[in-house]
Amino acid sequence: MRINKARQVSAVLAVGALALTAACSSGGASGGGGGSDSGKKATVTNFGVGTKADSTGPAPAVDGAKNGGTAYSLDQAGFDYLDPGQQYVSDQLSVQLLYNRSLTGYKIDPKTGKTIVVGDLATDSGTPSDGSKTWTYTLKDGVKFEDGTPITTKDIKYGIERLFSDYETQGPQYVQKWLYGADYRKQYAGPYDGKEIPDAKISTPDDKTIVFHFLAPHADTPYAMAMPNISPVPKAKDDKQKYNNHPVSTGPYKIESYQPGKSLTFVRNTNWDPKTDPIRNAYPDKWQFQLGIAEPGLTNRLSADTGTDKFAINMSGSADPSKMQTLTSDPQYKGRTVNEYQPYVEVFNLNTKRITNPKVRQALAYAFPMSQVQQAFGGGAQGDLGTTLLSPTVAGWKKFDPFGKLAKPMGDPEKSLQLLKDAGVTTPYKISLAYANTPRWDTVTLTIQKALEKAGFKVERKAIDPTSYYTVVGKVDTPYDMYRTGWGADWPNGSTVVPPTMDGRNLQDGTNNYSFLNDPKVNSEIDRINQITDLTQQAAAWEQLSEYVLQTDTSQIPFIFDKYFNLYGSGLGGVTYNQVYGTINPNSIFVKQ
Amino acid sequence: MFRFLVRRVLGAMVILLLISMITYFLFFALPSDPALLSCGKQCDPQNVALIRKNLGLNLPIWTQYWHYMVGIFAGRHMPVGDCPAPCFGYSFANQQPVWGTIADSYPTTLTLAVGGAATFLTIGVSLGLISAWRQGTVFDRIASATSLLGQSVQIYFIGPLAILLFSTKLGWLDRGHDVDWAHDAWGSVTGMILPCLVLSVIFWSNYSRQTRSLMVEQLSEDHIRAARAKGMSSRYVFLRYALRGAMATIITIFGVDLSAVLGGAIITEVTFGLHGLGLLSVQAVLRSDLPLEMAVMLIGATLIVVCNIVVDLAYAFIDPRIRLA
Repeated sequence: MRINKARQVSAVLAVGALALTAACSSGGASGGGGGSDSGKKATVTNFGVGTKADSTGPAPAVDGAKNGGTAYSLDQAGFDYLDPGQQYVSDQLSVQLLYNRSLTGYKIDPKTGKTIVVGDLATDSGTPSDGSKTWTYTLKDGVKFEDGTPITTKDIKYGIERLFSDYETQGPQYVQKWLYGADYRKQYAGPYDGKEIPDAKISTPDDKTIVFHFLAPHADTPYAMAMPNISPVPKAKDDKQKYNNHPVSTGPYKIESYQPGKSLTFVRNTNWDPKTDPIRNAYPDKWQFQLGIAEPGLTNRLSADTGTDKFAINMSGSADPSKMQTLTSDPQYKGRTVNEYQPYVEVFNLNTKRITNPKVRQALAYAFPMSQVQQAFGGGAQGDLGTTLLSPTVAGWKKFDPFGKLAKPMGDPEKSLQLLKDAGVTTPYKISLAYANTPRWDTVTLTIQKALEKAGFKVERKAIDPTSYYTVVGKVDTPYDMYRTGWGADWPNGSTVVPPTMDGRNLQDGTNNYSFLNDPKVNSEIDRINQITDLTQQAAAWEQLSEYVLQTDTSQIPFIFDKYFNLYGSGLGGVTYNQVYGTINPNSIFVKQ
Repeated sequence: MFRFLVRRVLGAMVILLLISMITYFLFFALPSDPALLSCGKQCDPQNVALIRKNLGLNLPIWTQYWHYMVGIFAGRHMPVGDCPAPCFGYSFANQQPVWGTIADSYPTTLTLAVGGAATFLTIGVSLGLISAWRQGTVFDRIASATSLLGQSVQIYFIGPLAILLFSTKLGWLDRGHDVDWAHDAWGSVTGMILPCLVLSVIFWSNYSRQTRSLMVEQLSEDHIRAARAKGMSSRYVFLRYALRGAMATIITIFGVDLSAVLGGAIITEVTFGLHGLGLLSVQAVLRSDLPLEMAVMLIGATLIVVCNIVVDLAYAFIDPRIRLA
């Protein structure tokens, strides 16, 4: 996913699969090099697939928590989409946990942070058959819509059918494509003309059972079913785009009032039964979202900790960078900060169509001034030094540093000069470095320019209007050599990182392979790994392939593992973090009484 | 008068048409692609093509412009849904009707503009009148110095200071928020007091100085001397003759200022976290949301030309020497 797109937010999910991957080790391990500055050490969480027992409610109690009170969320932007069918980006993913339940979901241990995918509306994370091409789910007893109507599998099938409609363009498309292929809309146009998805694709033999028949094996299915859009929608309440303003709740809260871009208030949904829900504690009686609060005012309010702001939190946005130094160094804030990994890896793409010699790309990697960039980026609280193309929030992740960046984070100009000599190119080698014209990226690219020019390069910086940036660098014939993008996994597996950013087939304007890498070996490996049905083996294979791309193709230079950093009000307890979404986990929060 | 009005309205319509064309076509001069910006994470070519069709971006630019302008008066049927008049299209960012977004935001802007304008006009003109009345006194000097200071500071500087002092430290005033009056009538008033006061500072400083200067000038006019010579009281001459002479200029400035804040007080709204037209315009630009940009621009421009016409009409009533034709 791209970070800082039109609205400087972006999507989400991360993380890998399976049972306690050894490489991921247990909570407490650090991801990349911490680098400079005073941010907290982020933890690398365990990820896994939960059992049927893990999928039963209620959610484990949080120490000291009591029901009651009002929790507040302060958000810089508003929510573009509340319709679960359209939700994909971090802020939407965190808010939907309050009112939307999918077939599966992420259960987070409030003490250790261990995250497992479990059945949410379903009794478990899914039963595969036919070599993981067919997946069967059974609904729990007692799950209801906010009006008390029992949820059936036909409601879930209907919720998926509407994803095929023309107006549903924002949400994930995994399940749709797995059912029909890339051109799924041509084969089924949604439910509004009275047609249903045939039983050969999705069958609902009874109100409790739903069976998915995919075209190919998909070991990732438990994760795909945790996406917000794999959720029930009552046909009678579906008014297409307008459903966005009044989604029907299946979770612990329902919408009391909503003024887009301004405020959103949730009150308890009395038809939610905590015994059916292994994920949500839902301690506050009410959630009030104040939207469109500009920075640095928002951070100032959280740090001032007065009035109702004592019970406030910013679910998905980090603190204003200008306040970071104070917030990380002043001990008064220490007890109420969260500083954890987001699923994004910041990279500089190297345009392989223009810099065709891998040795030149590797010289750039050696010369890259990682620690200086981290400083310009906002310091350690904003992100750790990142040396891999997968984030520490992806299962199977392990430390890998082929260019010795952690040993020489300021850059290695001697090695760079040697590689340029070996490549037989004329020095200084000219590089056009494009950046979105904002103060942050102006500073960052200036830092890079200085370092690269000591290492055999002649750098020409090109400022691009921020609203045009991705359009310009995403064109296959873009005239630039080096430019930054960010990407985060949709769930804890490399399957949502490697294929979208490194598959060289069907390169077109606007796709996410910004370095335009087209390595036949990588392409064929992607096909092979997709067929692996064991998630642990698959995660390890994605990890190895990402290492190969970094070391051999060097089409991207990773430099920061993004971190969330922010304060929360002193009146809140049970604040935990969801590494899959890269946001605060609202499920365990309580208001101190 | 009628001919004047017709001529000004026709002129205003031409101006608005030109502004709409410049805004619309300038947008497409940028290399950004709204469909790419709107297509979320799974931005494959099929999805981009679908979004382009949904937003009407697959049509020639002139056709898009024509549809947009017709929609304002006659409504439109769009791939993303019906859009009754006044239709400013559907937002590129969230596919919701722009008119609804504007209607949600405008009460905040209107409250801020009316509250702020009433404050800066009252304080500014009063201070200017008293200073002119008591030229050279301590009050005059303090008022002049304060006005100079007020004109020198910026809202983004005094706004946070005012929040810190009056809200966080002293707790006298709400820190500023714009709750719906139907939801919290009292809160909707108290939440706007501090923003209105802060907004007024930079304006009333100007009014104070202008009023003082105009009044001093008026008081030295021959007709004022003649009125005094006739035995009229100083107070009567001051308010009836001198003030009337100064009013035309003050009203001109007020018309321009009021129209500007009615079009959105961007810095004040951002400083206090208010959700008015100003904040909306910033978001529209940052997100390349053309329909929203157009709507904000057209509404702001309309308010400015309407206020200018009203000011011109007001001249005739204030100064009988002026005749509109």
